[in-house]
Amino acid sequence: MPRESYQEKLDALRSDVLYMSEMVVDRLRLALEAMEQKDEETAKRVIEGDDEVNELYLDLEEDCIDLLALQQPVAGDLRLIASSFKITTDLERIGDLATNLAEYTLDADRDMFPEVDIQAIGRTTIEMVEDAMDAYAEEDVDACYELAERDDELDEACRRASETVMRDLIETEIDTESSEEDVEALMNDVSRMLLTVRDLERVGDHAVNVAARTLYMVEKDDELIY
Amino acid sequence: MSDNTPQTDEPAGGETADPTNDDMLVETDVAAATSGSTAGATPDPVIRSRDLDVFYGEEQALDSIDIDIPENRVTAIIGPSGCGKSTFLRCINRMNDRIDACRVTGELSLRGKNVYDDDVDPVALRRRVGMVFQEPNPFPKSIYDNVAYGLEIQNIEGDHDEIVEQSLKRAALWDEVSHQLDSSGLELSGGQQQRLCIARAIAPDPEVLLMDEPASALDPVATSQVEDLIEELAEDYTVVIVTHNMQQAARISDKTAVFLTGGELVEFGDTDQIFENPEHQRVEDYITGKFG
Repeated sequence: MPRESYQEKLDALRSDVLYMSEMVVDRLRLALEAMEQKDEETAKRVIEGDDEVNELYLDLEEDCIDLLALQQPVAGDLRLIASSFKITTDLERIGDLATNLAEYTLDADRDMFPEVDIQAIGRTTIEMVEDAMDAYAEEDVDACYELAERDDELDEACRRASETVMRDLIETEIDTESSEEDVEALMNDVSRMLLTVRDLERVGDHAVNVAARTLYMVEKDDELIY
Repeated sequence: MSDNTPQTDEPAGGETADPTNDDMLVETDVAAATSGSTAGATPDPVIRSRDLDVFYGEEQALDSIDIDIPENRVTAIIGPSGCGKSTFLRCINRMNDRIDACRVTGELSLRGKNVYDDDVDPVALRRRVGMVFQEPNPFPKSIYDNVAYGLEIQNIEGDHDEIVEQSLKRAALWDEVSHQLDSSGLELSGGQQQRLCIARAIAPDPEVLLMDEPASALDPVATSQVEDLIEELAEDYTVVIVTHNMQQAARISDKTAVFLTGGELVEFGDTDQIFENPEHQRVEDYITGKFG
């Protein structure tokens, strides 16, 4: 087969993107574990590990630019590179969001909202990222559409979680005896929980982005992009 | 030269070596054939082929080609060596006629008139279908005479000075040579020589301009100039270009035809569709370099 070196580079790009996704999912899983167990050491590992994700992201970006500049790809090859280029951005953002979750864990000193199952929402987002990357690896168009539908369910779960937090806040009695520190701690807890929900919801959005770019890669179908 | 067609050095378009004064039946007949044809919403193709076969002796070079080439667009023909793309190009102005073993069947029409009809004069046809070759081939004459050559041998009336100037301007060469029209065309650089050949080809005011790898012998700067020129020429002419350079086809053409081994036209469509999402796996494999 002609252009063997080029084909090897394309295969390597695909493998490296999948490796990056495993790294990011690992960070996300650790961040959720740290949050559940209030494990500051694990949270710190997640935060420190973000540099590794960023470095890999920059390496893959360079690989994509090199392939575009040096190989002038077209057709399916072009769509693979263009899609991978965009997908690495989504993965890098998921890494940032995992870091956010770890930072919330370091800031938190109590669990104010046991009725919000943040771990269940987190597991859903991990599954969505993994499924999106499986679709990318297997070029599975049906899985791309299914993922977009699941994001609606995630959004609904996040909306309900936020509503629970807000209702809790409204129903919490802040009497005149409450110190300023108590009020500030309450506001921080509410804010932190809302940010956690928002960040997990964004992880789902990035998973959908991966599916959308995968659909484009496989069929040049931009239906899920816009 | 990559195809089955033997390389020839004969001039074409406005450069015919042995011009005659035969009646230009093609023009007369085509005028009749196209009258009233512009009423439809979709313009008729300038060039149309149906079930076009070409044989060199026993060897089939083109296999049942059906294509509609639109007016005032750049149509690129790409494909591996020996796929018949240059053979197809040379069918359009009957450059294959002089190859004894060449046999053409089927239809290839210019504005509705089959160019292989008995009453079509190839010389008249080549006035309407100019051609530019891979290697710049100016005559050993002055720049002016190179451009005016086709006008004179075809007895084209009009102000030749004006036509030469306009042709050189259209070929984006006037500013560089206007002060040296009496100098030999051979003194120009390779890129300038090719633009001179383009000026020579368009001087008789053809409708179609055929280009057989017109930039493959040029450096990147000259290539870029010729590519820009091709896009501009498409405002006035229907351009059909054969190229081995797929990036060039992607850059400059509106339509792309992909010929593959066996003289088969596998896919023809908008250039962006061909290069972003071809319908046929064989085309995908070819343009991505997986074979060929």
